[in-house]
Amino acid sequence: MAVGVKVMKRPGSATSYVRATLKGMALTFRHLFQPKVTMQYPEEKSTEDWTISSRWRGTHRMLTDEQGRSKCVACGLCPQICPANCIKLVPGEDEQGNRYPLIYEIDEFRCVFCGYCQEVCPEEAIHVGVHYENSEYSRDRFVYDLERLCAQTHPVSTLWDPSDPRGE
Amino acid sequence: MPDELINLTIDDVPVSVPQGTLVIEAAKQAGVLVPHYCYHPGLAVAGVCRMCLVEVEKAPKLQIACATTVAEGMVVRTQSEQAKQARMGVLELLLINHPLDCPICDQAGECELQDFVFQEGRPGTRYAEYSKRFNPVEDFGPDVLYVPNRCILCTRCVRFMEDLAGEPVINVSERGDRAYIGIHPNARLDHPWAGNVVDLCPVGSLLSKDFLHKARAWELDKTASICTGCSQGCNVTLDTRENVVVRVRPRPNLQVNRYFICDHGRLNYRWMNRGDRIEAPLVRRHATDWDEALSRAATVLRGAGGKAVALVSPRTSTEALFLARRLLARFEWTGAFQVVMGDEAPLPGVPDLALRAERAPNARGAELLGYSRDYAAALETSRTAAVVLVIDEPDAAIETAGTLLYLGTVLPESAHGAEVVLPIANVAEEDGTYVNRDGRVQRYFQAKPAPGMARPAWWVLSELLAQVDGAEHCASAAEAFDALAGSTDAFQGLSYAGLGAAGQGITAKAGARA
Repeated sequence: MAVGVKVMKRPGSATSYVRATLKGMALTFRHLFQPKVTMQYPEEKSTEDWTISSRWRGTHRMLTDEQGRSKCVACGLCPQICPANCIKLVPGEDEQGNRYPLIYEIDEFRCVFCGYCQEVCPEEAIHVGVHYENSEYSRDRFVYDLERLCAQTHPVSTLWDPSDPRGE
Repeated sequence: MPDELINLTIDDVPVSVPQGTLVIEAAKQAGVLVPHYCYHPGLAVAGVCRMCLVEVEKAPKLQIACATTVAEGMVVRTQSEQAKQARMGVLELLLINHPLDCPICDQAGECELQDFVFQEGRPGTRYAEYSKRFNPVEDFGPDVLYVPNRCILCTRCVRFMEDLAGEPVINVSERGDRAYIGIHPNARLDHPWAGNVVDLCPVGSLLSKDFLHKARAWELDKTASICTGCSQGCNVTLDTRENVVVRVRPRPNLQVNRYFICDHGRLNYRWMNRGDRIEAPLVRRHATDWDEALSRAATVLRGAGGKAVALVSPRTSTEALFLARRLLARFEWTGAFQVVMGDEAPLPGVPDLALRAERAPNARGAELLGYSRDYAAALETSRTAAVVLVIDEPDAAIETAGTLLYLGTVLPESAHGAEVVLPIANVAEEDGTYVNRDGRVQRYFQAKPAPGMARPAWWVLSELLAQVDGAEHCASAAEAFDALAGSTDAFQGLSYAGLGAAGQGITAKAGARA
């Protein structure tokens, strides 16, 4: 038994596609004459309209003092606060009797980039950086040791300041 | 009447304490810890820090809780506005010259200045325009460093060295804001008990060189244990970080060591972290599993007859000593433990407390269980014995015509001839008990896991016993101890749970029974 299909009769003005096509093409051509928003990454890294926020939390950087030594005193607060448990720290003593980190390693793969380490640091030594280009050829290169953290040159994050929530 | 109770009210909580109790101690009963620095229950009262000021009703001024004795009907308020204001003032003055170097200070996390400033100090300083006093770090003794900048002059260390150690080599030098703890120019802080000043120091002013920069206070796991340094049996806390023992500290026990341990005991922990441990059972020097090793050892024990000798380390737990004796009960049995002798070093201010010459934590326990001190004679006997059971690190080569069974943490040269080697846990890795020289049975607890397949000695021996005699296997140190208490006169009436953290004496009970 054939299924009975009722074909509705509609006026030509309601079934024609010409009008809709012209409408779509008009939108397309209108965009040809508007300013371009595409950024030519990686040749171009930031534009007037698009820059990375100063509060961006990217891979870490250890700040150094005037002699080029890391400012870290191995107090142990960052491994303690770190929710991802990605910081390894072994404290030691240098020739002058100062406390300093014998081993300081951050596993950037484990890191969740919360910025707590920067927030908790009493010496303003460890910082999360305004940086997002981190490609490497092997996984173990993502464990940054102290030397590498000190050698980073990218700007550091300003984090979010509760007393200035909008960053003004 | 000496045991008359005084009733008083502290922070609206009624408490009854014996006559002569200090307000600060009575407050602990009311659940209030009055902030204090110079007061320490183990030392004489000095009343110099003025930190424990509290309001006492009808007294004209605030009183220091550490030097005020309780009186009938006294009403003490520790949290009144006036008392809190006064204590905040004291803290503000203490912080004038205190360097806020908590990030590099070893005491951070267990510092009383940090705690009380956080609790009731001022949020900010009013002395920002003055520079802080600075004095360089001094080397006081073999294990003590003095950081004068952090010192709050509570004089606990001075009183300890003078009253308890009886060697007054340190004092408060200079006066006023120039005061510091000075050491006699020709003396060192090298008394055998001098390390206690590091624990007594409420701030990070006196530091242990051994622990310097090693770990942060909040990373440590703390386990109640017993010192293995000598037969005194001081109660200690083992501080472990990532399963490595990094520090030994005294655990208060008024019956044994009060609040102190000697430096020998304090530094006697490195062997607990040894890396050269046996990790698997060996049968004729081939690594195997527990099933094979135990059944081999059981076969040896079942097949042999005649004489048997047990040569044990004095660090063996009472439970293991008992099970070893029971295991060899079918033989003509001899047991002996080895004792290393050293110098005796008393702490003059505390009666009956010394680093004992006998460096054997469980010598008394071994004696009570029938082991003799005559190790040489037992070594001689073992030449002709059918079975020689050695527990941990014999210091002499063992020659025997029979079979050598070795239970040990490490495998020394002298145990290389063993038929079966069974790896056991050391004192930091198992539960058990020691009996100190005064006959006090004290428990120690597991602080870290044993390496590889190593098991507590009581577990190994009770497994063997189950295979040889069909006896029931002890699943815990508690079961082993309760079996011991049930069958040995000297230990009768004791139970593992009943020992608690402070231990129980056996002598009175054993004497009463005899």
